[in-house]
Parts: sequence; structure tokens; C-alpha cells
Amino acid sequence: MLLLQLLVDGLQLGALYALMAVGFAVIFGSTRVFHYAHGTTYVLVGYLFYWMAERLAVPWWLAAALAALAGVVFGVVLDRFVYRPIQRDEGSFFTVFVASFGVGVVVENLVVIFFGASFVSISTPLTRVTDIGGGIVISYLGICSMLIAVALFVLLNWLLARTDVGVALRALSENPELVRGFGLNPRKLSQYAFAIGSLLVAPAALVATCVTGLTPSSGHRVVLISIAASIIGGIGSLRGAGFGGLILGLAESMAVWKLSTGWSEAVAFVILFCFILARPSGLFGIRARV
Amino acid sequence: MQGYILNLLILVSISGILATSLNFIIGYAGIYSMAHAAFFGVAAYTGALVAMHVSTSLLVTIPIAMAVCAALSLVISLPSLRVRGDYFVVASLGLQMIAFTVFSEWKEVTGGIGGLTGVPVATLFGFRLASLESFFLVALTCLALVVLIIYTLVHTSFGRSLKAIRDNEVAAATFGKNPIVIKTIAVAISTAFCGVAGVLYAFHISFVNPESFTVDQSVFIMSMIIIGGTGTVFGPILGALIIHLLPAGLTYLTFLPARDLASLQQIIYGAAMVLLMIYWPSGLIGRANVKDTWAK
Amino acid sequence: MSDTPVLRLQRVNKRFGGVVAANDVDLDLPPGVVTALVGPNGAGKTTLFNLITGNLKPDSGEITLRGESLLGTDARKSALRGIARSFQDLRLFEQMTVFENVLSVMERSALPWQPGGRAAARARREKADATIETVGLTNWRDARAIDLGYAEQKFLSLARILVTDATLWLLDEPASGLDPASYERFVNLVRGRLAHGITICLIEHNLDIVHGISDRIAFLDQGTVLAAGEPRAILNDPKLAAIYFGERR
Repeated sequence: MLLLQLLVDGLQLGALYALMAVGFAVIFGSTRVFHYAHGTTYVLVGYLFYWMAERLAVPWWLAAALAALAGVVFGVVLDRFVYRPIQRDEGSFFTVFVASFGVGVVVENLVVIFFGASFVSISTPLTRVTDIGGGIVISYLGICSMLIAVALFVLLNWLLARTDVGVALRALSENPELVRGFGLNPRKLSQYAFAIGSLLVAPAALVATCVTGLTPSSGHRVVLISIAASIIGGIGSLRGAGFGGLILGLAESMAVWKLSTGWSEAVAFVILFCFILARPSGLFGIRARV
Repeated sequence: MQGYILNLLILVSISGILATSLNFIIGYAGIYSMAHAAFFGVAAYTGALVAMHVSTSLLVTIPIAMAVCAALSLVISLPSLRVRGDYFVVASLGLQMIAFTVFSEWKEVTGGIGGLTGVPVATLFGFRLASLESFFLVALTCLALVVLIIYTLVHTSFGRSLKAIRDNEVAAATFGKNPIVIKTIAVAISTAFCGVAGVLYAFHISFVNPESFTVDQSVFIMSMIIIGGTGTVFGPILGALIIHLLPAGLTYLTFLPARDLASLQQIIYGAAMVLLMIYWPSGLIGRANVKDTWAK
Repeated sequence: MSDTPVLRLQRVNKRFGGVVAANDVDLDLPPGVVTALVGPNGAGKTTLFNLITGNLKPDSGEITLRGESLLGTDARKSALRGIARSFQDLRLFEQMTVFENVLSVMERSALPWQPGGRAAARARREKADATIETVGLTNWRDARAIDLGYAEQKFLSLARILVTDATLWLLDEPASGLDPASYERFVNLVRGRLAHGITICLIEHNLDIVHGISDRIAFLDQGTVLAAGEPRAILNDPKLAAIYFGERR
């Protein structure tokens, strides 16, 4: 029943990919910032978690919370000190992208200096697996991640539909000028967008630190998967980004049925190419106008 | 000492070709490709394989590598230029990741993580380019030719069409230009020059492995353009020079731990990118006016 | 002069969701004549231009250029069929010089060379310089478009149109904001081309000046052509004035 096992694994992976992707989509949708450093947030959270839990013997739940908080702060600080100044001065898409990329490079190499370039991970009893019947195993951590993902999505849904901030964020993604006209402050709103988006990527980082391990350059893949999922799901659709992440997780996991793990990592990007070629507006996005 | 300098200059020449060719599409066409390292890698592997199995002549290896790269560029150009320029960035990043996986996994052809070793010495008209001096002359000549070709192109109608598309694609199309075809050709030319650089690199260091062709390498090349300036044909070469001299300069600062030098270099480039984008974004002249497409 | 219209729109419809941008539009552009499209903001004037050049596809209806359908065309193909179009926001090639702006517009081939060889290239350069002189921008020949003043930019936009061999011009608010002297010069340049067989359609906001430049006027509101005919009749119609100035029942 290898296929079923791969399916279950794929759901776990998909849940994490969905979180990352929606985090990116929230940021990009509201602020139009191509936040390449989204992957850097991931690396930062993961390494801080590792450092506190493994090196400083901080209780894991505290380390996790602090690391996630640090991720949120990182996102907000970037918005305030890097993206906003650029956007103020007629910053184009690419100027922001290059700056974001630069931030990623700096943090990645700082991590190399302090932690080295090889894999780091935390061993925790949560990675132990349990049989859910039929020989299919799933780790406690895997169950946790799926539950967390669902919980966060429900929370996000409520936030966007019911709270003032959430509605304002949706409005911001439609029309930034209008938002200003209603007396809301787009700058303050973008802080919320970055906070939420960065928070969403934290669980993925925390889980990865325990399961697959982390390297300083893990961030590139994270942000590219997030972008790929957003494109597949459709730019402008948060639901689409989540769905896209799920699909990519499933595809990557199921690909192991026929390909080695090395090759399966490329599957996500091949799917991305197919979508750009055949349906650039994605599954749920608005028709991409040239 | 002389060997050290010649080696450095050869690397600067190769980087100069990479930077100049990337600047052609970023600075003059406003097309942001992050896959230059991938094409560089494809060219290096192609050059190595041709040299080991077919011919070590530069006149054979270089054209083949150029053709392979240009053909491969169609893989990203054709799908993504049809839609919007920003999709090109994403597609190029995707290609970069796929390329790295191919380099590492396709063991039968690329040798996997270990790569290909024992690339033979390059030859030109039968003459073995065994000495550093002779190879440097060849590399410098290639750089000069690439710069000459790009300089010429920029000043022809093609260069004007590229700039027009960069400045306002809708207007360019309204006046009868074909942005998709023009951009595709520009990208193909740019990647073809990667082909030149890749072959030279494979011959120079005699081995090829995936580590040299990651996103970090793309960062290197981008930094050269950003630091050297995108508006001129010689800016990228200046950038290449600075970026290659920096490590040498850093070694003089003996208080810095040696094993961290590479990372410190990258930190400096990354920080430079961020600061330049905040305080001097006009240094990046090639930015397309994306505001009127994404914002709607 | 023949009476067959150069451009004909027949029952053209276009909606964007709930917004009616074009509502059963019938419009003829007679040859050798300046037709002005007027109407309040959002009336659908620029939309008609976009439908003609193929930037937008009509939901229904027919658009023909000299009898041949324009449906399925796009911006580039419409240029190849002899339509030249300017934009309300100019869309100049800002980082390029005035000379390059005018020259580049004549260079349509996507290949690294243009047809005709060196002789044709020299002819294009001479034509570019001549056109720059006609619009009075010789002093700014090597200045970047982005560095020009407002009026100069408007004339550069016109120069790009003048230098093509297009026979149908669609000008979107080409002269708005020009001072009276510049406006007069502009009008003379534009109307002077009619003798060369050019047909012109322009969108103009300013009702006071529109009768000085146009031979016919079509009045649009909410995607519908309310009236078309002689300028004097249209401009003196109180009902249309009421719509234009915002009083609606």
C-alpha cells in the first residue's frame, strides 16, 4: 500500500506547503510586494527554534513560540525598513524583488557563519509514528501539522471575513487607493499583512526542523513553492494558494512512487511550468490580462 | 603570483561575459532572469561532455553550447513571455531549481553530485591551450567579442525596439512591434553568451559539478550588474572586477576568520543590493513599468 | 472623395460585468475627415478605441476597416493594417531620446535588422529628423522623452503618429492641456494631414475647442452614441449639454 502511504505523507506535506503559500499570498495580495524573503522568514524561525531548543535547552514550546514571534517581527521590520521606503519612491516590482533577494542573501550567510552550512535538526518524540490502520503510518507531528494548518485556516477565514482588519486587507488587495480614501492607512494594514503572512510560515519551519532538517539555503525552495502554489491556485485567491500548496505537496510525495526523492523535488516546478504554459491564471484566479 | 593573477583575470573575463549578457536583458530589455546560473551550468556540462567525447576544439564546443542554451531558453521564454514579464522571473527561478535537480540527479550524464572530472585541455585550430597565458588571451578575446556584439546590437533597431518594449510595451505593440518575438530573441542571445562562458569555465577548472550553478551563482552575477551599473555596456565588467577583487581584498583583513570569508562576501553583496535598491534604485535602469499591469 | 467610410462600427457591444462600456454602437468614420468623440468621463470613448485596435474584443457586433473585418486583430496587427493610435497618458518611450522615439516607431521588424538595408535605414533617419522639425522639436532631438516639458511631450506623441504611414489615426485627448498658441499649431499639423488622405478620429474633452478641430462629432454617454453629426448642431443641443455637465434625470 505504498501509494496510500505516499498519499498520507503528501497530505502532511501539502498542509505545510499550503500554509507557506497562503502566507505568501496574503502578503502579495495585499501589498503587491514580491516577498522573496518569505523563505528567509522560514529559515530564521527554524534556526532560532533549533538554537533555543537544542543549544540553549529552552523548553520546546517556548522556543517555538519565540521563534514564531521572531518571524513575525522579521516580516514587519522588513516591511517598515526595506519595502516601504522603496515603494514610497516609485519602487517597481523588480526593485522590491532585488532588495528582498538581497535580504535573503544576507540572512542566509549570517546563518552559515553562526551555524554552518550543513543540516540541523531537532530530535523530538513527536516524530515517532503511529499506525492508523492498514500499515499506514503517520507521525504525531504529522497529525499536529495538519491540525494546526486547518486551525490556522479557519482562523484566517474568520479574520478576513469578520474583523475590520481582515476586511480592510481584502479591500487593500482590490484597490489601495480606495482604502486611503476611506481613511484607512494602507501602511498600517500592510504591517498586518506581513505579520499574518510571516506567522503562517512558522509552523512549516518548526515542523521541518524536527522532521527533515534545515539548511541555510532552504529558504529558496520554500518561497518558490509558495509562489508556484499561488500561481497554480490563481493569483489573487488565498483559497487557491492553499489548494495549490496541497496539490504540490501531494504531487511531490506521490512522485516518489515512480521517481527517486531527488527527482521528485523538481516535480513542483514542472507543474508550475505546465500552468504558466496552459493556464497562467491558475485554477481560481482572475483571468490574467496582459 | 603571476599564475594567481592570470587565474583571477580569466575568472573575471568569464564573469564579465555572464554579467554583460545578463545586463543585455535586464538593463536594456527589462527582463529579469534569475536562471543565468542554470544556463551557465548547462553550457559547462555541455562543453565538458563534448570535450570529453567529441572534440576539444573551442570552435566546436562553444557553438554547440550556445545552441543548446538558446534552445533551452525557449523553454522559459515561450510560455512566460506570452503572459506577463513578471511570470518570467518566476519561470526562470523554477528553471533554476529544476536545473539544479537535473545536474544532481541525472548521474548517467552529469555525474551527479560529484560531477564530471577530467575535462581535457582546450584546443584552438589544433593548438593546445595548456598555459594560463594562452587561455587568458582566448577568454579575453571572447569577452571582447561578446561586448562588441552586444554594443552593436544595442545601437541597432533591435536595441531600440528592446528599449521601447522596456519603456512601454503596450505602446511598442501599438506601433507594430512584436514584443514576444523580440524578447524571445533577446533572451536567446543572452543565454547563448552564457554558452560561451560555460565552456570556458569547464575548460579552465577542468571539472564541473552542481555546486557552482546554484541560486548563489545567480546572486553573484546579479550583484555584478547592480554594483557595476546597468546603464552601460562596460558597467557589468567593472562589477565583475570588483566582485572578484573583493575576496582578495578581504584576505588582507586578517582579523576575519578565513572560513567565513565566502559568507562575508555574500553578505556584503546582499547588503549592497538592499541599500542600493532603497537609496539608489535608478542604478537599475532596466526596471519595467509594472505598476500599470499588476496594480489593476 | 468616396463616401464609403474608412472605419465602420456596427452594433458593437461590450460589457465589463455590470458595466456597459459599449451599447449597440453604430459609428462611421468618413474618409479625409476629423471626427471627434465627445462625452462625459466614463462614456466609453477610450473603450471604443480599444475595441478598434483589438486591445478588447467586442461581445457582439462588427468592426470593419475599408470593408474588411477587424475582429480578431490585436494592437500590433492593427498597426500593420494602417491604424495609428495615441494614448491619453502618452506612453512615450521615456528613457529614449526624442530622435529614438520617432525613429523606433518605423522599425517594426523583430529581427536584428530591418528590411531595405542601409539605404532604407538612412531614409528612415532622414524622415525622423524631418518629422521632428515639422513638430518643432529639433532643439530637443537628443533629449530624453522623460525630460521634456508637457507640451513638448504632446508634440512628440504626435510626431510618432506623423512618421508612420498609417491612414487612420485614433488620437486620445491629443491636445488637452496645451496653451492656445501650441493648440493652434497642433490643429494645423493635424488638419494639414487630411489632404494626404488620412482619416482622423480623436477623443476630446474640451467642448470649447473641439469645433475648431473637427468636421463631425459623435456624442457618447454610458456606452451609447446619443448623437452624431455637424459640430454646431451637437454642441448647441441643450439635452446633450445637460448630460455632459452632469445633470441627469
